[in-house]
Amino acid sequence: MTTTTATRDAARVTDAVKVYGSGDTAVRALDGVSVGFPAGRFTAIMGPSGSGKSTLMHCAAGLDTLTSGTARIGGTELGSLDDRRLTLLRRDRIGFVFQAFNLVPTLTVAENITLPMDLAGTKGSRDWIDALVDVVGLRDRLHHRPAELSGGQQQRVAVARAFAGQPDVVFADEPTGNLDSRSGEEVLNLLGRAVRQMDRTVVMVTHDPVAAAHADEVVFLADGRLVDRMESPTADRVLDRMKAFDAKGAPS
Amino acid sequence: MNAALRISVSSLRAHKRRFAGTFFAVFLGVAFLAGTLVMGDTLRAGFDSMFGNAAEGTDAVVRSADTITTPGESQGVRRPVDTALVKTIERTPGVAAAAPDIQGAGQLVGSDGEPVGGQGPPTLAGNWIDDPRLNAYRLAEGRAPAKSGEVVVNRGAAEKGHLKIGDTTTLRTPDPVPVTIVGLATFGGEDGMAQVTFTGMTQADAEKYLTAKPGEAASIRVRAGPGVDQRALVKDLEPALPEGVEAITGQESAQENTDMISSQFLTLFTTFLLVFSGIALLVATFSIHNTFAIVVAQRARENALLRALGASRRQVTVSTLAEASVVAVIASAVGLAGGVGIAAGLQALFPAIGFPFPEGELVIGALSMLLPLAVGVVVCLGSALFPAVRAGRTAPLAALRETSVDRSGTSRARAVVGGGLAALALGSTLTGVLADPSLWLAGLGAVLALAAFVVLGPVASTTAVRILGSPLATLRGVTGGLARRNALRSPGRTAATASALMIGVAVVSLFTVFGASLKATMDQTVSRSFAGDVAVSTPSFGAGGSGLSPKLAPAIARQPTVENAVGLGRGVAEVNGSGRALTVTDPVTLGKVFDLGEVRGSLAGLGTDGIAVTEQEADRQHLRTGGTARLTFTDGEQRDFTVRAVYGRSELAGDYVITRAAWAPHRIQDSDTLVAVSFKDGVSTADGRAAVEKVAQRFGNPEVQTRDEYAQSSAGGIDMMLTLVYALLALAVLIALLGIANTLTLAVHERTRELGLLRAVGQTRAQLRAMVRWESVLVAAFGTAGGLALGAFLGWVLVKASDGASDSSFAFAMPPVQLVVVALVGLAAGALAGLRPARRAARLDVLRAIATE
Repeated sequence: MTTTTATRDAARVTDAVKVYGSGDTAVRALDGVSVGFPAGRFTAIMGPSGSGKSTLMHCAAGLDTLTSGTARIGGTELGSLDDRRLTLLRRDRIGFVFQAFNLVPTLTVAENITLPMDLAGTKGSRDWIDALVDVVGLRDRLHHRPAELSGGQQQRVAVARAFAGQPDVVFADEPTGNLDSRSGEEVLNLLGRAVRQMDRTVVMVTHDPVAAAHADEVVFLADGRLVDRMESPTADRVLDRMKAFDAKGAPS
Repeated sequence: MNAALRISVSSLRAHKRRFAGTFFAVFLGVAFLAGTLVMGDTLRAGFDSMFGNAAEGTDAVVRSADTITTPGESQGVRRPVDTALVKTIERTPGVAAAAPDIQGAGQLVGSDGEPVGGQGPPTLAGNWIDDPRLNAYRLAEGRAPAKSGEVVVNRGAAEKGHLKIGDTTTLRTPDPVPVTIVGLATFGGEDGMAQVTFTGMTQADAEKYLTAKPGEAASIRVRAGPGVDQRALVKDLEPALPEGVEAITGQESAQENTDMISSQFLTLFTTFLLVFSGIALLVATFSIHNTFAIVVAQRARENALLRALGASRRQVTVSTLAEASVVAVIASAVGLAGGVGIAAGLQALFPAIGFPFPEGELVIGALSMLLPLAVGVVVCLGSALFPAVRAGRTAPLAALRETSVDRSGTSRARAVVGGGLAALALGSTLTGVLADPSLWLAGLGAVLALAAFVVLGPVASTTAVRILGSPLATLRGVTGGLARRNALRSPGRTAATASALMIGVAVVSLFTVFGASLKATMDQTVSRSFAGDVAVSTPSFGAGGSGLSPKLAPAIARQPTVENAVGLGRGVAEVNGSGRALTVTDPVTLGKVFDLGEVRGSLAGLGTDGIAVTEQEADRQHLRTGGTARLTFTDGEQRDFTVRAVYGRSELAGDYVITRAAWAPHRIQDSDTLVAVSFKDGVSTADGRAAVEKVAQRFGNPEVQTRDEYAQSSAGGIDMMLTLVYALLALAVLIALLGIANTLTLAVHERTRELGLLRAVGQTRAQLRAMVRWESVLVAAFGTAGGLALGAFLGWVLVKASDGASDSSFAFAMPPVQLVVVALVGLAAGALAGLRPARRAARLDVLRAIATE
């Protein structure tokens, strides 16, 4: 799917700095972060509240712009794109799953899934979408409106929408934050299957160690800096690592 | 109460933008209303002082006591007085001076060959009274006319015709009189008496051209000697006057003039404007109600929280109403200032477009301020009442629910009530139109139809938007599809927003249909009754113009290409006691050029003691051929005429036909309103027309028109009226558009997160803008479609009811082109209304929109 072969990172930020506000009230949400999200992998971004994990995801996904440093999707440098090109890039090469309010209430499930392609005026791959619908298990719900679905079902539709256009990378922002643990587990399994069985790339922001354990790798952020990485995480190890942040209190 | 007020004030401050639409709707309505009232008062005061000034030196007016008024006319025709009476008056004690006032119609021809004025206000000519205090006009430049052919014209007329002192031009009296302008005059300090044109000639000329016989004047103006007041003067004069002649004071005369212009022009003018401010305010009511309904719905959680914290229903309701009152009072107060501004602007603008608005301070009466203020506040509070009550009913638990569901579109009760209203409306109009013609029933039906449309709006909006929007999804893809579904989201809101536009469009279509029907009626009349090839007329309307010379028809008849030419003059007389218009003509030729329908008796032998009558009038007056009718002329003479013919069609020929010979002894100023010409066989229209035009050239160059052109120009006034109506309705449509824009802005605000999501997953700004715009167009399309249907129906009702309720027959016509234009304008307006909300929506920050709470 990706046209670049020069890098194996589906998305990457280099020396990313993001400052909100100015003067005395300036806040450095990102303070020189460099991190790559390898293609074909499931990466989780973790960190305490205010660590800058959501900001990192927004900047990497072209929803927000960096104060300095670079963000790339494949070989494309996002800083050089205007709003229209950024939008088209999001539409064609990125998938999103948000914590809540993922679906357009006036559209049916089927229409929500194909929304990015409909916006582009393209058909997408019929077989792929068909397969996706079966994977997320929503075949009998295709003509329902979001309001008629449960929270877990809505998130599964969002997952299907995110992968429908076979994007380079799917960003998920606390996708299980509003779900009970069983529904959350289903959604995380879906994300995991997409990466391992369908060769997709997922970057997920979460504060839940159980959710992070579904990833191939966890990157830890604190105070806008990348502080640690963990391969093949388990919930216990992630929890211990997180506790270490708390024990340290306010880092230097 | 205090807490409620505090809450409303702080919430107003926090949501200023939300009330911008409400503010402008109230502001525009109130400003228009106040502007109309202030302008009406100012004009009235202006005319008052103008006539007062002009009549300052005239202490009494002597004139004949009787007038003959024909139906449909406000001002009667008064018999002239004998100028010899001037001598008698001058000898009366207490009189310082007296002068005859000869008046008639006289239309100046401008330097470009086009007649000056004639579209509405009278074009007058008269004798120039040398006593400056008796003359209503003052010499401003040049000198008074001293010999035949010299004239003074009022400055306004001179400017309009690009004429100056020393210029030679033509005065149509209607016989063309070559005149030289030797002076310019003012009237009461202005360039003229409103748009009335005046040409003053020597007394000899005036008697020659403006009266039927020398020695007649419209009235005699009298000035009192020192120490004699107006009442005393009138008392002194009365014994000296012959029977049938009266004296009134100068003040009374000025008052009569003011009253006349008030009733003929001002009252009509202000009523007309008031009707349109009423429509604008009605439209505003919908906009305001909608805004408050949405704001209350959006604030459901906030209100629920207040209720949960212990606020009573009353407190919540009162706080919403208090918000409405603040908006109402501020917007109305600013509207009053706006109204005064409008009046001041018009006062400045009118002279610039050639309408001398009397100078003077704006007259700002208490009523012109209090009434619009009260209306503004009542409209605003009334519109907010239901939403406020609904706000009070918010259950404390609603704070926990995400959003309330809009059920307005699906309510059965609404469908039943709406259906009932529609049935009543239909029943009432059909009865009023078809079964038992009655304007009252038809009018009731029209009002019910409007109510039915408003009530049924939400029920119909789902289906209507679905149908109207179906091409959108196919043509504009997902953007169009989303727009359509957004418009379908809240049927009640869509309908309420569209209702405002619907009313505006309905009134526009009503006038369009009615105007087209009037034109079709004219067309039908001309094509049915006018059997000639060309018509010669002076296009004029109202009291303007001087008509055609009676010598024109005989001159045209002498042309070798012409078979028949007949002139139609107008006379008045009382027939068996009631005032009637007479058609003065050559009855035999009339029967040849006009289709008079079935004629019983003979038109050939009317002579000097016979008349012809239409069948309808004959029935009304119980006349039949061979019967006798007593005619009383303006000169007081009574004569019995024998009805020699009864004819079927009155459309162009009028109800009574009398010969020129019979009319001649009683005529005042001779003029024809129309000369109808038919050509000999084999003469082409172009050749015949050229010949007629050549003759017309010698008679002041009136217009020569083919039958079709004549029919169209007869309807010319209608187009002018329609243009004015459209301009005034633009205000109502503007308010409706503000309403659409406001609703959309609120909807965009409501859908912030959804829009953010769409942008995040790849909707470009352009697509987002298009989506909001198309939603706006759809809502406008719904309103426009409803308005067209309602307007066409009301137009039909109006035409049919008029047809049934009056003697003349009305044709109904639907003008497809104009209605399509109305539809397109409605859609374009919708797109326009969507511009700003669309831009605002597109500026939305994606991150903030999708940020979780």
